[in-house]
Amino acid sequence: MADTSKMLSLFRSELVVVNVGPKSFADVLEKQGYTALQVDWKPAAGGDKQMQEMLQYLGGY
Amino acid sequence: MTVPEKVAAANAKVIEIMTKGRPVWTDVLPALEAVPGMEPNLILVPGPPIEPNDLPIPLKTAVCGAACHDGLAKNVDEAWEMVLRGEIRIAPSQDYNCGNAASSVMSASMPVFVVEDKTNGGKGFCVPHPGSNPRVLRWGIYGEDVEENLRFIRGDYAAVLGEAVRNSGGIDLIRVLSKTAGMGDENHNRQPAASMALALELVPWLLDVDHPARDKVIKEIAANDRFFLHVMMAGVEAIMASAKQVPYSTVMAGMGGNGIEFGIQVAGTGNKWYTTKAPLIAGIFLKPTTTEADLLGYLGDSCVTEVWGLGGMSAIAGPAYLRMTGGTFKDAKERTEKARQVSLGEHSFAPIPWDDYRGFPVGVDIRKVVGLNILPISHGGSALKTGGQAGAGAAELPVEVFKKAVVGMVEDVKRREGEAE
Repeated sequence: MADTSKMLSLFRSELVVVNVGPKSFADVLEKQGYTALQVDWKPAAGGDKQMQEMLQYLGGY
Repeated sequence: MTVPEKVAAANAKVIEIMTKGRPVWTDVLPALEAVPGMEPNLILVPGPPIEPNDLPIPLKTAVCGAACHDGLAKNVDEAWEMVLRGEIRIAPSQDYNCGNAASSVMSASMPVFVVEDKTNGGKGFCVPHPGSNPRVLRWGIYGEDVEENLRFIRGDYAAVLGEAVRNSGGIDLIRVLSKTAGMGDENHNRQPAASMALALELVPWLLDVDHPARDKVIKEIAANDRFFLHVMMAGVEAIMASAKQVPYSTVMAGMGGNGIEFGIQVAGTGNKWYTTKAPLIAGIFLKPTTTEADLLGYLGDSCVTEVWGLGGMSAIAGPAYLRMTGGTFKDAKERTEKARQVSLGEHSFAPIPWDDYRGFPVGVDIRKVVGLNILPISHGGSALKTGGQAGAGAAELPVEVFKKAVVGMVEDVKRREGEAE
């Protein structure tokens, strides 16, 4: 049988949420007293696929 | 080598050119004599290429004023007709390794600062800063008083200053920047420390010049706390002359506005311009009656200083400029941090004491700007549509020019690789 103690200890420990995306999701958690870490992530070239391919051709960024 | 390897090697070379460049001010000469490709009927204007009919009022005034100053036309109306007929040509300054700040233009008879990059061999040029008088060609104003001052600059001023600079054996601009590290200049819109340090180097040589106008010239220079800007612009152009000779490099090597359009140049494609509508400069106005509707778009080449890591790029070095234009110390820090995220190099000559002695970020990579969607910021003076200075502040560089530059670089590299369709 699998050892579930590590999993259980994770659930029993303090909840820290890593939020990638709209900051409002993290804000809601923080208002409820939880800790949320906001990752400031944006899609490459603002999501412009043509630009992404061109940047790739030039060696990325 | 693969394309990414060639791009990486080219960028390393350009960063080496930019960080090891040694701009030394060596002379003051008439533009026709100093600037390669200059012609008697050619007037260099700031920013990307522009058709005469599209010139905003301040630049139109400056071009026509310069034509009168050079004796090409009897009056501004005649000058304008000659421009429209193509008898007087206009071209972008930066295509000639020159910079023209705000509404400045350069005609053949005007004296230019000659700055040589002793490391890489390039030469750059800029007309002198005319001082704090608001009635100057530099802000698109022309009249008898302006003409009188232009003649003084072309005559006694150039003669005295030229002799002093030549006798000095050359003034090292890196030395000036190093000595003024930590003195609060960001070196685009604020340079009292650098102007004073430059005067410190110049005055002994000026005092040795035997000329009846010597004292008047010393007074002009010593009273002008923006004097260093135009010398530095020539210095930046001297370095960019070499940076623009490196194919495959994606590092920005030129930037400027003509009030209507704003453009950048990239080292890998030399003098090719990538343009969009000129952004407005947000900040303060000199007069409370001025509104945003009175503003022209970004005007001038003085942002070549940002191309070399000064001004908005190193805003944290001169936080007082942020305070003056409505920002905070934190804003200044953020401006420089943004610049660091999209730059490939860092200058070592002027560490910033209140920024952990970090240097100015230099060498904006167009790939990083587009990929990370982080826009560097340029400082600048703002111009009124009708002529004259509106105020000062900063503008975020438009992403469109960087996207166009990426397209232009891919086309150029594909052509070089024999992959062009």
